[in-house]
Amino acid sequence: MAELEVRQIRKDFGSFTAVKDVSVRFDSARVTCLLGPSGCGKTTLMRMIAGLETPTSGDVLFDGAPVTSLSPSARDIGMVFQYPVVYQGLTVRQNVELPLRATRGLPPSERARRVADALEILDLTGVADNDVSRLTHALKQKVAVARAIARQPHIILLDEPVTNIDATTKSQLKHALRRLTRELHQTIVYVTHDQTEAMTLADEILLMNDGEIVQRGSPREVYNHPAHRFGGWFLGNPGMNFVPHEVSRNGGDGEIRRPLFAQTMSIEGHDGRTEVIVGVRPEHLTVGTDASADGVRARIKHAAIVTGGQQLLALDVDGVGMKAKVSAGSRYRVGDLVLLSCRYDDVSFFDADGAKLSITLKQRTARG
Amino acid sequence: MPRVEFRGISKRYGRNEVLRDLSVVLEGGVFNVVLGPPGCGKSLLLRLMTGIEPADQGSVVVDGHDVSDLSPGERNIGYVPQSFALYPHYRVFDNIAYPLVLAGASKSGAEPAVRRIAEMLRIDGLLDKRPDQLSGGEKQRVAIARGLVKDTKLFVLDDPLTGLDFKLRERLFDDLREMRETLGATFVYTTSDPLESLILADQVHVLTSGRIIESGRVHDVYRAPRHLHSMQLLCFPRANVLDGRLVRSNGSATCRTELFEVPVSLQSDELASGDAGRSVKVCIRAEDLVVGGTARDGSVRFPVAVVLAEDLGGELVVHLDAGDTRLITALRHDRDVDLDGTDMTAQVEPEAVIVFDAESNQRLGQGRGGRHG
Repeated sequence: MAELEVRQIRKDFGSFTAVKDVSVRFDSARVTCLLGPSGCGKTTLMRMIAGLETPTSGDVLFDGAPVTSLSPSARDIGMVFQYPVVYQGLTVRQNVELPLRATRGLPPSERARRVADALEILDLTGVADNDVSRLTHALKQKVAVARAIARQPHIILLDEPVTNIDATTKSQLKHALRRLTRELHQTIVYVTHDQTEAMTLADEILLMNDGEIVQRGSPREVYNHPAHRFGGWFLGNPGMNFVPHEVSRNGGDGEIRRPLFAQTMSIEGHDGRTEVIVGVRPEHLTVGTDASADGVRARIKHAAIVTGGQQLLALDVDGVGMKAKVSAGSRYRVGDLVLLSCRYDDVSFFDADGAKLSITLKQRTARG
Repeated sequence: MPRVEFRGISKRYGRNEVLRDLSVVLEGGVFNVVLGPPGCGKSLLLRLMTGIEPADQGSVVVDGHDVSDLSPGERNIGYVPQSFALYPHYRVFDNIAYPLVLAGASKSGAEPAVRRIAEMLRIDGLLDKRPDQLSGGEKQRVAIARGLVKDTKLFVLDDPLTGLDFKLRERLFDDLREMRETLGATFVYTTSDPLESLILADQVHVLTSGRIIESGRVHDVYRAPRHLHSMQLLCFPRANVLDGRLVRSNGSATCRTELFEVPVSLQSDELASGDAGRSVKVCIRAEDLVVGGTARDGSVRFPVAVVLAEDLGGELVVHLDAGDTRLITALRHDRDVDLDGTDMTAQVEPEAVIVFDAESNQRLGQGRGGRHG
């Protein structure tokens, strides 16, 4: 196992800074996903770890020792790219074995064992003697992964390897990554722009935007509690609603109400701000028609069926546009008047710059 | 608002007949989506409509007037092509103004229209930039603006969001719907993407094998598809399809698959008694297949094993093995389900089992619940 760390790493391309003085430690025995939109710097960061790109400043450290000046081949890493790199004309087994032949001091029996292990982990044993050039894209990608892991490098870097790959292969890859981290304690860094891929495969997500790491956490943590407005927007289909709320004063306390709350709510931790932005995910909004229920009135402007038969509703709440995603089988129509509410735990707060605010929200209690 | 009719359109390239006697009515003043798999002839249909290409047979009729012999200029259709190229040496303004200038407008004459459309697409701050100073999403917006700048009420958009990442598309979904409403125009839009169709369309027209196999309000086609391919193309995640046989059993129609058997109500009682049975395709939407939870009375049940649960954030898409068949279910993340078991039970309400003829792909009927006679 190896601990991987980058310190104050930076990459400039002319006047454009792709990675802005990022410091982060990647834990061993975990799958860490670098997730972000195109241009966020994730690939550049990975290429600097691999040695394919020279940092403008800062260091890459393996187990505390700088490797920044080492060539890619001198670093103990395995890499898998989006398009599978395989050696045409060789069998699957030969493909996996090839890099091991160049490894000095590795006895043939050990070599054979590692190849067999790698093939087994990726469920390739049955096609071990097939010509690799005849395999499907998905199988070739598995061969590329098997080759990267057979060398038993301490760090494995994967660049969107399962884009356009079927569920079976994804599942096998997921299990393979899990085994590698659990049994060999390898450090796995996985780069993707696809939130589903990251949420499905990662132990931990490093969310990137504009050359910086915006948030680090388990997939559900990052999804449910975005540390920045960016994470609320980027994750989710569609992303969070962001609704500015005016803070009024009641003695020392702050209060907010419209447009999202039917009753006046007390807030703590707003630090005297006169406005906060309330973030709530479309699927966390409850839509109902029961007039006795608590909620704010909203009119449906558009209703579309989306993923898994759910309805995505565009709503007008006091002139503010919001989106709600309600369960399959709902039959709301354009023009319907509904009541909108949400659980207080599902609400996030942000300041005008998008930074998360630690605000607690509670229903105002009658005084005196 | 212009209403467009294709009447008996055929078009072949060499031996490849791309469109075969295609007829369809595209309603005026709504968002029409032509949905079909890649390579089905969607783009060709739009090119025939704009007049860039002629049909071998048939006619294109706009508001009752046959426009088949009119030139593209005379048809006055706004067009956003699939692969757009911006003029690299032109400013964004000139790129957007191009179709107007081509039609004889002066630059200053074009300005109000360019500014208006740029504002609607939120690129009015970019008008003085050059294409190489724009991001991918901004370039796409410029290309869309160029297609929508014309003073007309009929616009065609050929899969304009393809290749954009989901977040950029999300924003453009809203913008495109809003643009259509503001312009009060007829939109004809092609895509192969189910979600894009569901979110954008008022009317959907499903194109496969050279013909429009089904047209209708998008909600209706989703909920009650008349054709197997409509169901397959419009569902996300994809619909489950099983091979089955429709047989007579005790006087009523029954559908058998390797996983279950279910009584079927047929749309027409054409299955003669004594019929040895016919091959059918049995479809279940992902959301109608329920894993875990308590067994419901009258539901169809069978064992499954979980292969992979993909986390979409708000939903889980779960891939299942049932015998030799791979199935998919979708559930909201708020449902508390333990998906780690290998011996799980899937269930589906009989009414959610939709049966199509395996040859014609036409809908025959659906499962029937309860303990009827």
